[in-house]
Amino acid sequence: MSTLVKVVRYHLVKPDNLVFVPWAVLVVGFAVNVMVVATTFGGQSTIRYMGTLAALYLTFSVGGVTSITRALPLGLGLGLSRRSFYLGTVLTAVSLAVVYGLILALLQAIERWTHGWGLSMGVFRAPFILEGPWYLTWLMSFVLLTLLFVWGVWSGLVYRRWNLIGLWAFMAAQVIVGVVAALVVTWMGAWHHVGHFFVTLSAPGIAGVVALFAMLFLAGGFATIRRVAV
Amino acid sequence: MTAAISVSGLTRRYGRQLALNGVTVDFEGASITGLLGRNGAGKTTLMRIIAGHELASAGSVRVFGAEPLENSALLRRMVFIRENQIYPEFKVRHAIRTASWFYPNWCGELAETLLEEFDLPTDRAIKKLSHGMRSALGIVISLAARAEVTLLDEPNSGLDAVARRRFYDLLLREYAEYPRTVLLSTHLVDEVADLLERVVVIDHGCVVLDACSDDLRGTATRVSGRPLDVEEFVAGRLSWGRATSRSHESVVVGGVLDDADRLWARELHLDLRTLSLQEMMVHVVDQTTEDYARETVA
Repeated sequence: MSTLVKVVRYHLVKPDNLVFVPWAVLVVGFAVNVMVVATTFGGQSTIRYMGTLAALYLTFSVGGVTSITRALPLGLGLGLSRRSFYLGTVLTAVSLAVVYGLILALLQAIERWTHGWGLSMGVFRAPFILEGPWYLTWLMSFVLLTLLFVWGVWSGLVYRRWNLIGLWAFMAAQVIVGVVAALVVTWMGAWHHVGHFFVTLSAPGIAGVVALFAMLFLAGGFATIRRVAV
Repeated sequence: MTAAISVSGLTRRYGRQLALNGVTVDFEGASITGLLGRNGAGKTTLMRIIAGHELASAGSVRVFGAEPLENSALLRRMVFIRENQIYPEFKVRHAIRTASWFYPNWCGELAETLLEEFDLPTDRAIKKLSHGMRSALGIVISLAARAEVTLLDEPNSGLDAVARRRFYDLLLREYAEYPRTVLLSTHLVDEVADLLERVVVIDHGCVVLDACSDDLRGTATRVSGRPLDVEEFVAGRLSWGRATSRSHESVVVGGVLDDADRLWARELHLDLRTLSLQEMMVHVVDQTTEDYARETVA
């Protein structure tokens, strides 16, 4: 058994954080959606987008954080190199994201087929990003889940290496990058170009942009873990 | 014989604090070495750097001739569970199962036996274990791994007297069956004295004593009696730790006392008591602390 597969098994030996919690949160959110919509907006014909899916993504991201803060120390104690641990952790996330993407695509198909669970709900659909054919839904879910997990991993690594101050700086830096980008676009009077770019960008195009960011975070995490101490 | 672990000029700085200050020491293959010293002396930092968990500021560590940091093939031959090891939200059995995948020589049978010996409930969440039980879990993993380099960080900390006794017996039995390089840091020096082939004392990040424990045995004796008699006996010998009152004096003398010395002591009505390993460590550390303070002031 290769070392990376062993790391995957390590992350899934007690699958609470990466499997049960994200889906449990989604199920509870879905149940609340159904109750609220059934009692208040019954009989609507236009789709009501719920945004509940965000809960799944966020808890998966938290799984990325704990894979570093809790699992990394024991991993190194058991004779893993940082590199093996990192690659195995990413392999875990990517494998789960592939499967979760398929499940979400299936749920979306059911949602369409049942006209939003009989209540015109859009739980597994979202305008613009999750409204195409099943394979685009799968692709989009896959890259988004990977992105958020890797972001969690990188944040966890920054915290391990530079503590809370480092984490604040890391978060602040991301906000600053966003603000600076927005200012540059404003100064250049290029907002209509940006709008045009995203509107004309097809769903695979958006998935590509997300994947690009995921790769960036992946590289950032790898650079950070190389000198992390436990 | 080449050393299993070779540490040379190892220094680790945390801001202005020197956790390790130019440590040079070798550890032979198939040996049990005690790493002794006070809290914060640098024992855990040394182990962490040997295991590649921490990076050195200067100097080098070689394990079986290679640098351990990020060396997968080498790290696989080492196990290091820290005293305050962070675990995922695991139950005991999850940690044991995980460890079993990573070590080619893992002995499941031994792990079972050890879990029973320490009364460790495998279905208990690790965060709900007492301090001693967590130590026991670290021992189970470290011994069952049968790794060529086994680093034990305060393994007996928090264990009750029965569990400690069991640990010492098990360690010796395991070691006899599968000899390996064992490094054991501890505060309970006298309890482990019989296990140790060698003793390395660290203080303020420096190695202050490095000797075979057999060679150390009986090399320091506390002499006490009437001040004049004690002074007569001690004259010309290496001595320290003098405590004097008007009618009584006690001094520690270094070096092995021969039969003639003992006869003479009896004639002077002196009381002789051999220092235990722990007392010797305390003396060595006291001495270096004085030197350290003197240097720092100067």
